[in-house]
Amino acid sequence: MTIRGAAAGGQAPAGAGDDLTRLLGRIASRDAAAFAALYNQTNPKLYGIVARILSRGDAAADVVQEAYVRIWEKAGEFDPRKGSPLAWMATIARNRALDEVRRIRPASLEDQPVSFEPAADEVDPLAARERSEGLASLIKCLQGLDEEKRAIVLLAYYHGLSREALAKRFGRPVATIKTWLHRSLAELRDCLAS
Amino acid sequence: MTISPDDDFAAAEYALGTLPPAERAALAARRLREPELDEAIRAWEARLAPLAEAAPEIEPPRDLLPAIEARIRGASPGAPGDAAMVALRRSLSRWRAGAIAASVLAALLATGFVFRETSRPPPLPREYVAILQKDAASPAIEVTVNLDKQELTARPVAASAPTGKSYELWIIDAKLGAPRSLGVIGVTPRAANLSAYDPSVVQNATYAVTVEPPGGSPDGKPSGPPVFVGKLIPIEP
Repeated sequence: MTIRGAAAGGQAPAGAGDDLTRLLGRIASRDAAAFAALYNQTNPKLYGIVARILSRGDAAADVVQEAYVRIWEKAGEFDPRKGSPLAWMATIARNRALDEVRRIRPASLEDQPVSFEPAADEVDPLAARERSEGLASLIKCLQGLDEEKRAIVLLAYYHGLSREALAKRFGRPVATIKTWLHRSLAELRDCLAS
Repeated sequence: MTISPDDDFAAAEYALGTLPPAERAALAARRLREPELDEAIRAWEARLAPLAEAAPEIEPPRDLLPAIEARIRGASPGAPGDAAMVALRRSLSRWRAGAIAASVLAALLATGFVFRETSRPPPLPREYVAILQKDAASPAIEVTVNLDKQELTARPVAASAPTGKSYELWIIDAKLGAPRSLGVIGVTPRAANLSAYDPSVVQNATYAVTVEPPGGSPDGKPSGPPVFVGKLIPIEP
């Protein structure tokens, strides 16, 4: 089944968050039909998040599977006061993907995917038409960063680029990237708190 | 907030994903012992999470739902084969006499002491067991692994989570970076699928149990120190 109901077409309609919150509530009481509905409404989103970080398709599919098993196990702990259901699910999936891509491997460092160049489909949240309150605030703060520093944060978030990969891409030493990351993140933190 | 600026940057980079593997693994281990660091990581995850809304969808290459549902069903009661459990218990009782601290068993194995009684040419072990416990007299979690089925089953032995809490099982190995959850341990045994893990990792990993909120850790990371810990040892075929 790939029917995605309300979410078909890519843009989640207004009220989709409420719908997902209700589904997570039913999943918490072990409602398998609710789980299938949640999966059908959200799997292209979660796969989109994971597949941009993990270049190997089979790894991305495995990580998405693990993420959904975890969502089933943890549904009862979702707290709508702390963020949207999609943000909660995305954090679970993204953490899994990052653990995979930053796994300590027995092989040498040359095997790290540092040379991975993100595809042309770079994600620009500033172009998002529909914005939750949380995304709107974050975008406002991102707009306060220099263009290059904003790009670094977004490439790291959406494509899982490491410091080394960012250094190659922007032609700067790794130490500079690290400094930029710290400054940018501190600016975002202060901006979001204001 | 009493966390140092350096630690807050590390937490931020952990959430963003830019920490190099060794630093990420180190921070994942530290957050188990340092609640303030753990809190800082969660705060950074929350700050960045709205970005996920803007990630364009990609259709998965295949329908993953049946596989996920199978794994969820595998987590339900009644999954493991009873005959296999009887055999495992028989093997286990032999070891229990000798205090089952994992390090002791590992030492015995290293000297080839435990299973010399089976003199046939030994096929590669496909079944493993671990007793996770604090000391020989305390309650325990029994973990069995079948590499052919890529399945792990965990069952409490006279152990029960504190009221209103869940036990959660983790696989810990340097090759995995952060500890990975194998799910919540119920009063009835549950099987976890191990197909995501390399067999050598499964065999050599440390298995640990933490006390978590009902249903398990909210963020996929152990939220406290392990209460039971141990390593697998092979059982005779």
